[in-house]
Amino acid sequence: MSNGNNNNSKAPLIIIGVVLVVVLAAVWWLMNRKPSAPAASNRATTTARTPAAVNAAGATPPNLLGSPNASVTVEEFADFQCPTCAVKHPVVKELTSLYGSRIKFVFRNFPLAIPAHDKAYDAAVAAEAAGLQGRFWEMQNLLFTNQQTWTSNPNYRQLWEGYASQIGIDVERFKSDMAGTMTKQRVDADLQRGRALQVNSTPSIFVNGMLIPFEQMTVEGMRTIIDGELQKAQTNQSSQTNSAAGTTK
Amino acid sequence: MNDREVLPDASGDKIAKLPLAAAIVALVGLADAAYLTVHHYTGEKVPCSVTGGCEAVLSSAYAEIGGVPLAAFGAAAYFVAFSLAILAAYGNRLTWKLFGALATLMAVFSVYLIYVQKFEIKEFCQYCLVSAATSVTLFLIAVWSRFWRS
Repeated sequence: MSNGNNNNSKAPLIIIGVVLVVVLAAVWWLMNRKPSAPAASNRATTTARTPAAVNAAGATPPNLLGSPNASVTVEEFADFQCPTCAVKHPVVKELTSLYGSRIKFVFRNFPLAIPAHDKAYDAAVAAEAAGLQGRFWEMQNLLFTNQQTWTSNPNYRQLWEGYASQIGIDVERFKSDMAGTMTKQRVDADLQRGRALQVNSTPSIFVNGMLIPFEQMTVEGMRTIIDGELQKAQTNQSSQTNSAAGTTK
Repeated sequence: MNDREVLPDASGDKIAKLPLAAAIVALVGLADAAYLTVHHYTGEKVPCSVTGGCEAVLSSAYAEIGGVPLAAFGAAAYFVAFSLAILAAYGNRLTWKLFGALATLMAVFSVYLIYVQKFEIKEFCQYCLVSAATSVTLFLIAVWSRFWRS
């Protein structure tokens, strides 16, 4: 490097400033690029995914909130040991209470098979075991809200049994259901559906088969998408009734 | 006033090249960490062909501290390292000492993160390995500059 005679003090500061501006601009561009242009390509890959999903229905009947006949389906794939899923849990809860029967919300188990998530599969089985006694959502809620407590506890199963009695289910039956095959089959079916939809990280949320970008997984972001889909369904319906009226004439 | 005054060391010219090299290496680390930070916030999948464990590592409990992605801390550290190195390249000896201290901390933390990947998560992420390589290189450059001087 050739040192200038008089701008030695300023030159490094200018270089640092330029690098800072370039990095910030690049980050800003990468963050904002996604919702506009590549959203289309994202959508394209999701529509490409849908046919495979037909073969993998997931656990039947699914863990469902809202109305099974709603025009908008929100499907979440989550892992009980994933910190981000626990963070997004209140968002999803608020949305389900906000929309009620106007949407069909389906929760899918997608325990990631990674060493750091050693209890994730069992946790999904525990939620399903509570579900067999009609308390899936209560258990799901407790597992997410107490995630840090049981994740780090070697006696996590005892904690879960505590949750089971807390939500008022038969603890002995809960234990035997957890050991049984039915709960595992449901988790496996959800997993299979997730893989068919090429889910490879959690949480993954689909609205009418469209994968939601992570930065839009907020109450506001999700509301924009769901409202858009509800409106689309409404205009479709009214145009259908219009055309039906036209053909009967 | 001549060139040598900014770095009044006999081997000044040679030392100034090392900070410059360090600045370039820090830029590589900065780009890598900034990319991972963006990935963390957009939730986009990173292309992971070499090691295959990116998602496992980047979505693990170790990927965040208090809700802030580790990569963001890394990007900040690389930016500071870059700034210190550039100032040193233009003759500031104090920033070069600070750079040495920072590079040491970063290298130690990188070794810890490699340990986490190997033994805790049991998966490797190539972007994290690049970051480990750059921070260890920065450390080696800092060590090298001490030898060169004496």
